Amino acid sequence: MVMTNSPAAASPVPLQTGQEPAPGASSTRRKRSLLKRLRRSPMLYLMLLPGVVYFAVFKYAPMYGITIAFQDYLPFLGMQGSPWVGLDHFERLFSGPDFGRLLSNTLILAFLNVVIAFPAPIIVALMLNELRKQMLKKFIQTAIYIPHFLSWAIVSGLTYLLFALDIGPITVLFNELFGGRVNFLADPDWFRPLIMAQTLWKGTGWGTIIYLAALAGVDKQLYEAAMIDGAGRFQQLRHVTIPAIIPTVIIMLILNIGNFLDTGFEQIYMLTNSLNRDVADVFDTYVYFMGITNGAYSYSTAIGLFKSIVGLILILGANWLAKKFTESSLF
Amino acid sequence: MFSRRTLLGGAAAGAATLGLAACGGGGGSADADAEITTLKIMAPLLSDTAPDPEGQLQTAIEEFIGMPLEITWVPNSSYSDRVTVTMASDNIPHVMVHTGKSAELAQTAEAGGYWDLTDILPEYPNLTPENEDVAHGASINGRTYGIFRLRDAMRASVILRKDWLDNLGLAEPETTDDLREIARAFTDDDPAGDGSATTGLIIPAWSGYGNNGPYDLWETWHGTANVWKEEGGSLSPAFLAPEFIEANRTMREMVEAGQVNADFATMDSGTWNEPFFNGQGGIIADVSSRGLQLMGLFKDADPEGYGDKVTMVGNLKNPDGTLWALPTPGYSGYLTIPKAAVPGDAQLATVLTALDKLSSEEGQRLLNNGIEGVNYEVDGDQAVAIESEEASLIQSDVSAFAQIGTQSNGYLGLPAKPEGEAEAALDQKRLDYHEADLEHAVFNPGSAYMSQSYLQNGAILDQIVVDARLKFLAGQLDEAGLEAELERWTSSGGQQVVDEMNELYQQG
Repeated sequence: MVMTNSPAAASPVPLQTGQEPAPGASSTRRKRSLLKRLRRSPMLYLMLLPGVVYFAVFKYAPMYGITIAFQDYLPFLGMQGSPWVGLDHFERLFSGPDFGRLLSNTLILAFLNVVIAFPAPIIVALMLNELRKQMLKKFIQTAIYIPHFLSWAIVSGLTYLLFALDIGPITVLFNELFGGRVNFLADPDWFRPLIMAQTLWKGTGWGTIIYLAALAGVDKQLYEAAMIDGAGRFQQLRHVTIPAIIPTVIIMLILNIGNFLDTGFEQIYMLTNSLNRDVADVFDTYVYFMGITNGAYSYSTAIGLFKSIVGLILILGANWLAKKFTESSLF
Repeated sequence: MFSRRTLLGGAAAGAATLGLAACGGGGGSADADAEITTLKIMAPLLSDTAPDPEGQLQTAIEEFIGMPLEITWVPNSSYSDRVTVTMASDNIPHVMVHTGKSAELAQTAEAGGYWDLTDILPEYPNLTPENEDVAHGASINGRTYGIFRLRDAMRASVILRKDWLDNLGLAEPETTDDLREIARAFTDDDPAGDGSATTGLIIPAWSGYGNNGPYDLWETWHGTANVWKEEGGSLSPAFLAPEFIEANRTMREMVEAGQVNADFATMDSGTWNEPFFNGQGGIIADVSSRGLQLMGLFKDADPEGYGDKVTMVGNLKNPDGTLWALPTPGYSGYLTIPKAAVPGDAQLATVLTALDKLSSEEGQRLLNNGIEGVNYEVDGDQAVAIESEEASLIQSDVSAFAQIGTQSNGYLGLPAKPEGEAEAALDQKRLDYHEADLEHAVFNPGSAYMSQSYLQNGAILDQIVVDARLKFLAGQLDEAGLEAELERWTSSGGQQVVDEMNELYQQG
């Protein structure tokens, strides 16, 4: 989404601090002043132009393609030639036999992402922050960044090797410890734990960067004052460190919730097989399956559009809540 | 002033992109009168390296058809995705190779995206199908939208470790019961004689239904028919036949007894030969050419004693002694001609004339054997490979160019002469089984028909069956659960497919 490209993501300070226009300002007045400002400082607006063109060309113009969600689109007939069918595809989606399964699988994975994968970098960053030996801290940081640079294909390959039935090292260890004969790769009960393990392994280290930056910005005097007041390490953590990074956490949470339903196509697709498909099918894989494999472009576009609308509602809702209960929000 | 001009420029850029987006997807309409001087083809590439466009073989083919070629080779693994994407682009080739009868093909064909060749092909003697049954099966509801690529109608076989059979004193299997006994013995009786852990059958993760996979073979041998079962003039899905449950019950027993590799749901099919070669399993049910491949592996490891490692039989009889053999569709995809690239009749004639030449005896030999005297020599009615650097280059090109050959008028190329005595014997055995089995082949009576609801939901519906079957075999579902899943097939749109198929079947 557009939001993820915004540099605001890295900014730990509240972004909106009451710069609303005066309540009385009418839209005509605003328009006139825009024209006036344009005339006064054309160079500023000229500098804005590349950004506007970028978004117009690469983000807004392709949205025209959404129209095929309301057509029976055939590539060969093109967008002009394909017949319009209104909301047929949405009806088919909501009344179809797969919708409930897809929705619940997607929501469960999204929920796990928010409660497990989201806090993990925060906890690791707090732990790293407490380390005294700079060398050790740097070493650990570098080591946990590395998995981020591996593609999902490699991560999946490693997963298959490590968790292979009977011969994978982790499978062997697990069976020795707990007995039995676990088929990690095919057992539906193990699908979500495996996905979460992959996500944590690949993303946690990288995710700490932003929080470490926020932690570096905490005023040292606050710790000194807390120490003089007799605060121990945990009390410093609770009363100084955590409040200091809360705005960052909230901004990150809002940004994350916008991608709430993006469950990671590659990751899931490569771990799916006949035996775990019931828990593995999510909107992203279904869109691929229907659209690319089965050639049902319109239907899969309709699913994608539905997903985007839900994402938009979630991000607006989260932003509203954040604005209401805390001082930080995105817009 | 500066600002206004830039604003206008920005607006123009925005409008232009909208216009571009609006034009996209219209297809690359070529001029209907322009002459085709270069033949553009898109084809799948099954090997690692694409042929050199300046290479000897391509030059020879270009000389033969009297026209330069421009071939886009696309790796086979992503080929069908690329076909759909290419058909939506404005760079459409004159000849599009399709690897199967996909939903995309049927939909685009029926919307007029590919030439309907039903009444045109008879004008080209080398493009007129030799086998009417295959031609009918390859049609889409009776219309011909492409020139099918001929393949052997019978390829099924059971490949076994011959030395293991000999060690245990077992005979080659004739019935499915024999095979179960062999699978048991291969698992329990230490066939390798060294105490190593072994299983009987080796089955990789197999996707899709009704595509001649190991499970399809097992079911057809038990009498489920082939994808569609015809009874009393109407069609019903083969997996709703009672034999389907029965076949999978015995398969499940083998799985539970450890006579099938335990990772059958996840094993990469690209590594199918390895457990057989390494002595972890002793039975593979697949196309017969795999038997020769396996023998080649053993030969590489042991050039002397490889001859008694691999044997094969054809289709297996059911326990009553009835033989239901599973044939292939007899073809593997098509060469279609997109109208967007070939809009005019004269252009169509140019393309078809070139394809007609390629399907003549000389053309077929170029595509399937190579250049006589350079990479092969004729020995009787077989081709003998010549060993040289030049020859091996052409040989690797031949394996790619074979993909654009159709042979729908019958195969006129030369079969390759097997290298050694053991290979020749195995090859002969394989061909004998094919011939004998073909008389008992159970053809798919619904192969020519494509129902609208199958086009819409086919992939999802097939998946229900594939998943249910595997879950049952893995013990995740019991028999009632399997039946419930098959019932779900019927209720989530399958019944509509059955009704539409029967309507088409009565008409056709």
